[in-house]
Amino acid sequence: MIRLRLNPTPPLLSLLPALALVVVLMEMVPGIHSGGLQSLIAFISAAFHPSMDPSVVSSAWRGLQITMATALLSWVVSTLIGVVLGLASATLIWQTFIGKSWPAILFRRLLAFPRAVHELLWGLLLLQMLGLSPWVAILAITIPYSALVARVLSDQLDSLGARPLIALRQSGARPIQALTTAIVPPMAPVLMSYCGYRLECALRGATLLGVFGLGGLGTDLQLTLQSLQFEQLWTALWMLAAVMVILEQLISWWRQRLRSSGAAPKELLVSVCLMLILGICSSIWLQSLDLDMASSIRWHQLPLPTVSELITAINELPWLQLIFNTLLLTVLAAGIAIGLPPLGMMLWPSQLGRSIQSLLWGFLRLIPTPLAALLLLLNCEPNLAVAALALGAHNLGVMGRLLKEALDQQSDSCYQALKASGAGDRVAWLYGSLSAQSPSYLAYAAYRADVMLRETAVVGMVGGAGLGWQLIESLSSFNWAQVYLLIGVYAMLTMFGEVLSDHCRQLWTGSKKKPVMALALQS
Amino acid sequence: MITRNPRWLLSLIVLFSSFFSSVATSLAEDVLRIGAIPDQNPERLNRLYSLLSTELSKELQIPVRYIAVTNYPAAVSAFRTNSLDLVWFGGLTGVQARLQKPGAKVLAQRDIDVNFRSVFIANTGSGIKQINSLNELSSLRGKRFTFGSESSTSGRLMPQYFLQEAGIKTTEFAGQAPGFSGSHDATLALVQSGSFEAGALNEQVWLSALQTGRADPQRVSLIWRTPAYADYHWLAQGNLDKRFGDGFTNRLKQALLSWDKKSKPQATILDLFGASRFIPALENQYKTIETIGRQLGKIQ
Repeated sequence: MIRLRLNPTPPLLSLLPALALVVVLMEMVPGIHSGGLQSLIAFISAAFHPSMDPSVVSSAWRGLQITMATALLSWVVSTLIGVVLGLASATLIWQTFIGKSWPAILFRRLLAFPRAVHELLWGLLLLQMLGLSPWVAILAITIPYSALVARVLSDQLDSLGARPLIALRQSGARPIQALTTAIVPPMAPVLMSYCGYRLECALRGATLLGVFGLGGLGTDLQLTLQSLQFEQLWTALWMLAAVMVILEQLISWWRQRLRSSGAAPKELLVSVCLMLILGICSSIWLQSLDLDMASSIRWHQLPLPTVSELITAINELPWLQLIFNTLLLTVLAAGIAIGLPPLGMMLWPSQLGRSIQSLLWGFLRLIPTPLAALLLLLNCEPNLAVAALALGAHNLGVMGRLLKEALDQQSDSCYQALKASGAGDRVAWLYGSLSAQSPSYLAYAAYRADVMLRETAVVGMVGGAGLGWQLIESLSSFNWAQVYLLIGVYAMLTMFGEVLSDHCRQLWTGSKKKPVMALALQS
Repeated sequence: MITRNPRWLLSLIVLFSSFFSSVATSLAEDVLRIGAIPDQNPERLNRLYSLLSTELSKELQIPVRYIAVTNYPAAVSAFRTNSLDLVWFGGLTGVQARLQKPGAKVLAQRDIDVNFRSVFIANTGSGIKQINSLNELSSLRGKRFTFGSESSTSGRLMPQYFLQEAGIKTTEFAGQAPGFSGSHDATLALVQSGSFEAGALNEQVWLSALQTGRADPQRVSLIWRTPAYADYHWLAQGNLDKRFGDGFTNRLKQALLSWDKKSKPQATILDLFGASRFIPALENQYKTIETIGRQLGKIQ
C-alpha cells in the first residue's frame, strides 16, 4: 500500500511566521504616540556626533576590551570542553569502545540542564557564588556553550553512520585509530565552521551579560541608555559595531577558506593550537585590564531555601499566567524574527534593497534587546507586543544575516531559469532562490525559537508579566525559593521546546540529520 | 600522525597548567574596594568615584579602588560575597545588604537623606489632577503607571507603600501591572513622552531635571510629594578594623564626615552627590524601610 504524506511547501512556510507582525502591530499601533519623538530624534542624531569626551571614550574602550577578552576566553574554553563532552555523549564513540550506548544517553540527558539555562541566569547565579569576579561572566558563557557545542557535535557524529567505522574495525584497526580515521576528516570542516559562529555568539553573550551588571561594554550601554545620554551611548555602540563588523568579516573569510581548502585534519590541529594561544592571550589581556583573575576566586555558599519556603513560593506565584505570557511572547517574537527576513528579501529584491536590508539587520544585531525595548517603549504604550517586537528585532538581525549568507552560497541557476521563462523578480526569487534554502532555514528557525524562549528573561521588564520579569523581581527581593523554582520552570520549558523543534525539523526537512548551516543558530 | 597525538596533548596540558599557576601566584595587596548602586550615568559615576577614591586614599593612606556595578541586586550580592568593602547603597538595598551580611556598619548619609522624598509625576495630557492628600492617590487607579528600578527605595518601595496605604493594589493599574522603567531618568522620559500616564521617582532627580530643562513643565507635572523618609547611606563591611588596623572604620567614617566645600576636590564630590555634607547615620533610621520592605516582600 502506498502512503502519501502531505508536506506543506517550505518557501511559503518560511514566510508564514511573518503574520506575527500583523498581530503585534495591531496590538501596538493604537498605542503609538508622538510624545517620544524628541527622544527618538535625539537618539538618531546622536549617532552622527557621539561623545568624544576622553573619559567617556576611555571607559567605553576599557569596557570593550573586557567584553572582547571575556568573549574570546569563554569561547576557547567552551569549545574545548564542548568537544570533549560531545565525544562523550556520542553513541558512536561508546559503541566503538565498549559496545554499549547507555553512557552516551546519560551524558546527553545530564547536559540538557546546563544548556536549558540562559547564560544570563548562569551569570546571576554565579555572582552569588563567586562574587564580583571576571570568572562569573566567563563561566556563565562557558557552561551553556559547552553543552551546546557538545550537543551539536554528538548529533553530527551520530548522523555520520557507523559503516566506515565498522569497516575499519573489521580490517583490524584499534578503536582509537578507527575513530580518528573515520571521524576527523568529515567532522573537521563542520566543527570549524560552527566554532566560528560560536565566537560571534560569545561576543553577543558577553555584551548582554554586561547589560545585566557583569562588567564590560554592556555596562556602559545600559547605564548610558538608562540615563538617556544618547551621545555617550553611541560612543559605545560605534565601538561595538566596529568589532562586530570585523569579527563577522573574519569569520566569513575563515569559512570561505575552509570551503575552498576542504579543511584537512592538519588544519584542525593548527586551529586548536591557535585557539589555545588565543585563550592564553585573552587571559593575560583580562589580567592586564586590572581584573584580578586569580585572587578573586572565593567560594560562597549559594543561599538555599527550605522546603516550606519552596511550598510558599509555589503557592505565591501565578504560574499558569506567567508561563502562558512567556510562551506567547516567544511565539510572537519568533514569528517576527523568522518570517520577516525572507519577506523583506522577496518584496525588495533589488541590489539596493538587499544592501539596505543588510545594513538594517546589522543595526538590529548591534542593539541588545533591553535597549531596543526602552527605545520602543518611549514611543508607544507598554504591552506584550512591545516586548515581542524588541525581542524579535535583535533575532531578526541574526536570522537575516544567516539567510543571506546561505543564499549567497548557492548557485542562482534556478532563479535565472525562472526569470528566463518569464517569471517576475519576486516569484523567481521565491521559487528559484528561497525554495532550495527553506528547509534548512526553517530548521535554523526552530533552533532560534528555542533561543528566544530563553531570552524572554531579558525583556522581562517590558512585558511586566512573564517569567522573565518575575525572575528579576524575585532576584531583587532575594527570594531564593522563587528564583530556583523560576529557573527550573525555564529549564523545563526550554527542554520541551527542544523536543518540539526537533519534531518540527523532522517534519519539515524529512530527515533527522541537522543541516550543517543550521548549527550556527544554536546560540 | 596518530601516534603523535598524545605528545601534542601533553604539551598543551603543560602549557595550560603553567599558565594558570603563573596567574595564581600574583596576589593582590589589601585594597579598600568601594562601590555604588548605579543611579546616575556612567560618565558621572566614574568621575565622582575616581575623585572620591583619590580623596579617601590620600586621607587614609591606603590604596582605594572603585569597582563599577550596574544593577542594584548585583551590588548587594557583591557586598554579601565580600567583593566590596564600602558601598553607597539606597535605603532598601542597604537594609538588604546589612541583613545578608551581619556585622556590616552604617557609616554616614548625606544631609539630604534624613528627610528624603519621592515625587509622583503625571503627563499633562493624562488629565490626572494634583493630589492633596494620601487618599487622593486613588485617582491613579486604572492609569498606565511606572516605577523605576525594582530595588529602588525612592523609585519603587516608598511609592508602592504609599499607594498601598491609599488602598491601591499594583494590579489595579492599566495592564494589571505597573511598569519598571529601570531608572529615575527613564521614568521621567517615559511619563513625559506619554507612554505612561504617571510615575514615581526620586525628588532630587526631579528637581535637577527641572533645573537643567530635561523635564518640560508643559508636558509633565508634579502631582504629589510623599512624606519624608531616610534613604541613601554608606555601608561598610564589619571586618575593616581587622584588615586595615584598629579604629580604621572610625577613621573612615570621620574622613567622610569631615568633607566640606572649602576644599576643591571635596566640594566637587559633594556637588556630584547633590549634598552640602555627609552626616552620621544610624541603623535605626532604616527600621521603617525594613518593615515596609518585609511587608511588600522585598525583604525575606
